[in-house]
Amino acid sequence: MKLTELFDKGEFVVSSEVGPVKGCVRDVGGEEPVCLKEARELKGKIHALNVTDNQSAVMRLGSLAASIKLKAEGHEPIFQMTCRDRNRIALQSDLLNACSLGIDNVLCLTGDHIALGDHKQAKAVFDIDSVQLLHIAKNMNEGKDMMGNELSQPTNLALGAVVNPNADPLDLQIFKMESKIAAGAQFFQTQAIYDPAVFEKFVKRVEGFGVPIQVGFVMLKSPAMAKFMNNNVSGISVPESLIEEMASVPKGGRKEKSVEITVRLLKEMAPMVQGIHFMPLGWSNLVPSVIEQLDLKN
Amino acid sequence: MIGTVNKPFEEVLESISDYERVGVIGCNGCAKVCKTGGEQAVDTMAEKLKGAGKDVVLKALPDRTCYVYKTHAALDPVKDEVAKAEALVILGCGGAVQITRKVTEDYGLVMPVKAALNSVGHMDTFIEGELAMEQCQECGDCMLNDTGGICPVTKCAKSLVNGPCGGSQNGKCEVDPNRDCAWVLIYNRLTALGELDRLRKRLLAKDWSLMARPRTLNIKEGRVE
Ligand code: SF4
Ligand code: SF4
Repeated sequence: MKLTELFDKGEFVVSSEVGPVKGCVRDVGGEEPVCLKEARELKGKIHALNVTDNQSAVMRLGSLAASIKLKAEGHEPIFQMTCRDRNRIALQSDLLNACSLGIDNVLCLTGDHIALGDHKQAKAVFDIDSVQLLHIAKNMNEGKDMMGNELSQPTNLALGAVVNPNADPLDLQIFKMESKIAAGAQFFQTQAIYDPAVFEKFVKRVEGFGVPIQVGFVMLKSPAMAKFMNNNVSGISVPESLIEEMASVPKGGRKEKSVEITVRLLKEMAPMVQGIHFMPLGWSNLVPSVIEQLDLKN
Repeated sequence: MIGTVNKPFEEVLESISDYERVGVIGCNGCAKVCKTGGEQAVDTMAEKLKGAGKDVVLKALPDRTCYVYKTHAALDPVKDEVAKAEALVILGCGGAVQITRKVTEDYGLVMPVKAALNSVGHMDTFIEGELAMEQCQECGDCMLNDTGGICPVTKCAKSLVNGPCGGSQNGKCEVDPNRDCAWVLIYNRLTALGELDRLRKRLLAKDWSLMARPRTLNIKEGRVE
């Protein structure tokens, strides 16, 4: 189902994220691939599942294959597409592939730079950017490819995009968000955010845009992980007070603490927007408990 | 200018391992500015080659080794020495190597012309003798008029033309936290100029066919073919 249909119905949309594994997921016996296992933990608890596209420029199972596999197992995948590894021909072709194979949702991103990944010698593509990808995808929904050629059957995809409320200068980020909306973005997922005041400022600026937003959240695992994100994950800023709070509990109590922080912050931020997008980074099993405690139906 | 850096000497030596009599040809243009191809660099290379047992039969320094007529001007008077060499080692950019090869062909010679430098881009000097930076990659459709005179194609690590990626943080680029994010620079500059509206014009994908190589310039008629 297209996420846009849920938003249109006024549903508060909850999604989470899984990263495809580095390897195949064909069923040859043995242990279940982590991404499928994580997805199973979320089944029935969320509306949709983002499937990352060679996240952090680390080569893995492709987002489309993983999305289709997850769809077959009853999940609603959001096929993530970055502009890093494919030119406009391959991207458009993959939009046709995705729609043909039953995918309903696509999230259009620029993509992390190759320098951050595990194949640093690769040639980066970046033929087009996220704004243009959205524009192309919108035209394909309307039956035309980028050059205006007729498609024998149009795509029918809900088009998502990302925005970073932590960005400085925020004006520039909002300019980009407006460009994405003009290009065709129908919903937004935000970068992880930990400061409700910063988030509120952002929401105030964009609420007039009339496009649904899901607040993004990466669950904190440890003080070291939070510091690592501050130093290495672009666009994320975890306040010192939260790092201290994580440090205040013994190792064994971290999961509980993380859930507590997540619930507390999302209780403040979720009502400002139309949905939540979790990025649990391996802690998918904690997401259901967070959702339960948030009591989103109210 | 074209930025150049030295190849490891062992690599240069390996490229001429089958030859004994060599000529060293520098470039008094860009490579001189990069301190890789001027008079001193030619002398140093000649000494090193001698030290490695080579017989250096020629040293030459065209004004601009990438201009065919300047290379001819420097080599025509020493054509015989060129012919005596079994191989030439060029301290210039990739263009200099290929123009020198062409000149040897003009002389009717079939000889290896080897690169002693790696070419690293169209550079502009920031601090003389110290620092140059890539600013333009000749995309064929210059956007500078809309981007405050700062090139996103070259200075943004992803060549984005519609604003920054999600990795821009504290004004720095996700690829290198010591480098300014091109889009923050552009934004600040356009704000200062009161030209922010110009950003909204650009939605279109870049026409990379204008960069399809090799491009040929019809100088007489002023067009790319
Ligand atoms: S936009 Fe950039 S790469 Fe293109 S011509 Fe202008 S300065 Fe050069
Ligand atoms: S951080 Fe800025 S300069 Fe670096 S890739 Fe992103 S937009 Fe380009």
